[in-house]
Amino acid sequence: MSELSIEAVHLSRRFGSFLAVDDVSFSAARGEIFGYLGANGAGKSTTIRMLCGLLAPTAGEARVAGFDVKTAPESVKASIGYMSQKFSLYLDLPVRDNLDFFGGAYGLSGPDFAARADEVLRLCDLEHERDAITGSLPGGIRQRLALGCAILHRPAVLFLDEPTAGVDPVSRRHFWRLIRRLAREGTTIFVTTHYLDEAEYCGRIGLMVDGRLVALDTPAALKRRYVPGRVLSVRGRNLASAAASLRSRPGIIAVEPFGAGLHLQVAAENWNADSVAQALASAGAQAVEVESGEPTLEDVFLAVVARPREVRHD
Amino acid sequence: MITSPRWSVQLRAVVRKEIRQTVRDRRIMFMLIVAPLLQTVVFGFAVDFQFDHVPTLVVDHDASAQSREHIRRLLADGTLRDAGHTTELGAVQRKLQTGDAAAALVLPEGLARAFAAQRAAEVQVILDGGDPNRAVVVAGAASRYFGEAAESMVKERLAAHGIAPPPLIRATPRIWFNPSLKTPPYMIPGVMTILLVITTTLVTAMGLAREREMGTLEQVLVTPIRPLFLLVGKMTPFLVIGCFDVLLVLTAGVWIFGVPLHGSLALVATGTVLYVLCTLGIGLLISTVSRTQQQAFLAGFLFAMPAILLSGVMTPIRAMPFWLQVVTTFNPVRYYIEVLRAVLLKGAGLVDIWWRLLALLGFGLALLTVASLRFHKRVA
Ligand SMILES: Nc1ncnc2c1ncn2[C@@H]1O[C@H](COP(=O)(O)OP(=O)(O)OP(=O)(O)O)[C@@H](O)[C@H]1O
Ligand SMILES: [Mg+2]
Repeated sequence: MSELSIEAVHLSRRFGSFLAVDDVSFSAARGEIFGYLGANGAGKSTTIRMLCGLLAPTAGEARVAGFDVKTAPESVKASIGYMSQKFSLYLDLPVRDNLDFFGGAYGLSGPDFAARADEVLRLCDLEHERDAITGSLPGGIRQRLALGCAILHRPAVLFLDEPTAGVDPVSRRHFWRLIRRLAREGTTIFVTTHYLDEAEYCGRIGLMVDGRLVALDTPAALKRRYVPGRVLSVRGRNLASAAASLRSRPGIIAVEPFGAGLHLQVAAENWNADSVAQALASAGAQAVEVESGEPTLEDVFLAVVARPREVRHD
Repeated sequence: MITSPRWSVQLRAVVRKEIRQTVRDRRIMFMLIVAPLLQTVVFGFAVDFQFDHVPTLVVDHDASAQSREHIRRLLADGTLRDAGHTTELGAVQRKLQTGDAAAALVLPEGLARAFAAQRAAEVQVILDGGDPNRAVVVAGAASRYFGEAAESMVKERLAAHGIAPPPLIRATPRIWFNPSLKTPPYMIPGVMTILLVITTTLVTAMGLAREREMGTLEQVLVTPIRPLFLLVGKMTPFLVIGCFDVLLVLTAGVWIFGVPLHGSLALVATGTVLYVLCTLGIGLLISTVSRTQQQAFLAGFLFAMPAILLSGVMTPIRAMPFWLQVVTTFNPVRYYIEVLRAVLLKGAGLVDIWWRLLALLGFGLALLTVASLRFHKRVA
C-alpha cells in the first residue's frame, strides 16, 4: 500500500453542462486530517462522492487506500468509512440494529463483530443509547452513531461530509476528540466543514471555490499567505462610515465586517492598533476599541472567496 | 486485493434489517396481514355473480286463476322474488328506475282465453339492463319456466287425444368443478392474485424509493454490498409474507366460502413463489425508475390496474379483442390465476400447467435481471 491514502489527479465531475468539480488534484498521507472548505455548492460533497466510489468521475483519476476509484470501486468501498452530509442511518431502528446492519454489510459477523460493536459503542459514548430508537436521539448523538457505523470495519480512510453541522459546541468538541484519536491511530480523515474553528484541527486544508481547488496548505501557511500583515479587530459605534473612509488609505489591505465590529488587515509597517483607533475616531467613529489579533481561517476564507479569479491563475 | 466480504453475511444482514423494519411499521403489517383477510371476506361476500331473489314486479293484466298459477310457480323456484303487483306502466318504470325492482313480468289480458282457444300467447319480461348479468339470469329463469309450461301443455293435449308425446331433445347441463356455480370458488383465487400483485409490488417499489428518499440508500451503497444481494435480501421477507398471505386467504376461502382444494398444494405453493418473484421483480424495477415513494406508489398502481384487468381474473380473456389477448400473454398475473384455478378447482397436475409455471419463472428471472442491472448503473 502506498504512503498516500488519497490521491486525486485532475478529478472533474460534470452534471449536464454544469461543472461541479473542476480539475481538482491533491493528496493526503496516511493518518492526516485533511479539511475541505468551500461555500455551499462549491463541490465538496461531489468530490467526496467520487472518492467513495458512489459517483463516477467524468475526467481525471483518483486512488483511495491504494485502489482506483474507477476500476476497483468495491475495493475502495471495503477500505473506507463514509458519513454523508445528510444523516442516513435507519431512523426507525434502534441504535444496535443500525450497527448490526452496517456491520453485516461490511461482512462482519460472529463474536469478533459483537466485541467490535461493543468497542465502538464505548468509543462513541453510546453505551446508554444502545436500545434507543435512532430517530428519537438528539443530533449530536446521532452524528456519533453515524461515525460509529462508519468505523465498525476499521477503515483506512474516513470521509466525513459536514459531520458536525447543526451540532451543539460541546458535542462538536467531543466529536473532534474522536476524530483526532482515530487519526493518531493511523486513519486518514477527509472532512468537510463550514465551522472554521474546527478547520484549525486539520493538518492541511483545501479551499474550494466554484468547483476549483484554489488553495491548499496547512492552516498556518494559508494565513501567512492570504492574510499578510497585521489583523486588527475593531469594536465601537459608527464604524461602517468611518471604515469606508479608511479603505482608500495606503497600507489598508482589507476591511471586512466581523460580528458587530470589523476585521482590519493592515500592513505592519504603516499601522498599529493605536494609529488605527485614531484614524477611525477622526473619521467619526465613537468608543473605538482596537485589539490586534491572530488571523483566523475565517480571514483566509473571506480573502480567498473575495478574489477567486486572482488566486485561480497562480 | 481486499478479500470481498462473505455474501451470506451481507445477505443475512439485509434480510434481518428488512424484517426488523417491517415488523416495526404497523402500516405495512396491516397492509400485509389484516388487509388480505378483510379483502377476502369483502370480496367473497360482495362480489357474487349468483343471483337469487331478484325483485320482480308482477303486471297481471289477465288476473285469471291460470295467470295467477303461472306467477306462483315461476316465483316458487326462488330465483325471482315478488316485488309487488301493479297494472300501470308508469309504476313499472318508476320501480325499475329506483332499483326497487330489477324486472317486470307482464302477463297480457286474455292469456287464459288464448290458452283455452289454443291460440299463441305472449308473455313479456321487462329487464333492467344496467346489470347485464342479473338481466340474463332473470330472462333465463322466465324463458325456462314458460318453455317447460308450454311443453307440459302440449303433452297434456296430446295425451287427451290419445297420442303419445314425441321424443324431445333436451339439453341437460351437468356442471363440473363447481357444480352449484357458486361465485367464491371462482373469485377467491382472483382475490389471492390481486392481493399479491398489489401488496408485494407496492411494498417493494416503495421500499427502495423510501431508502433513496431518506438518504439511507447512499449509506448502503458505500458499503461493499453487491446490488444483487441487496435486492434479493430486500425481497426475501416479502416473498415469505406473500406466501403467508396466500395461505391465509386460501384457508379463509376454504373455511368460509367452501373453496374446493382439488389439486396439490405443493403446486399452488410453487406457482405462488414464482408469481411473487415476478411481482417483486416489477416492484424493484419500478423502484429503480422512481425517485420518490409517491412516484413509486403511482407507478405501482399504473402497472397493477391494467395487469389485473388483462389477467382474466374479472373478465374472461376469450371475450377480449384479439390484440388484447396477445397482450395478455405477456402478463404474469394471467398465468398465476390460470394456475390457481386449474389446480384448486379442477385438480390439474404438473403436466397440465408446467408451461405456465415456466412462463412465470422466465418472467421472474428476466425482471430481476433487468432490475439489478438497472440498479447497478445507478451506483456508478
Ligand atoms: N446529482 C446532481 N445532479 C446535478 N447537479 C448536482 C448533483 N449533485 C450536485 N450537483 C450540483 O453540483 C454543485 C456542487 O454540489 P455539492 O453538493 O458538491 O456542493 P457542496 O460543496 O457539498 O455544497 P454544500 O456545502 O451545500 O453541501 C451544486 O451546484 C449542486 O447543485
Ligand atoms: Mg455538501
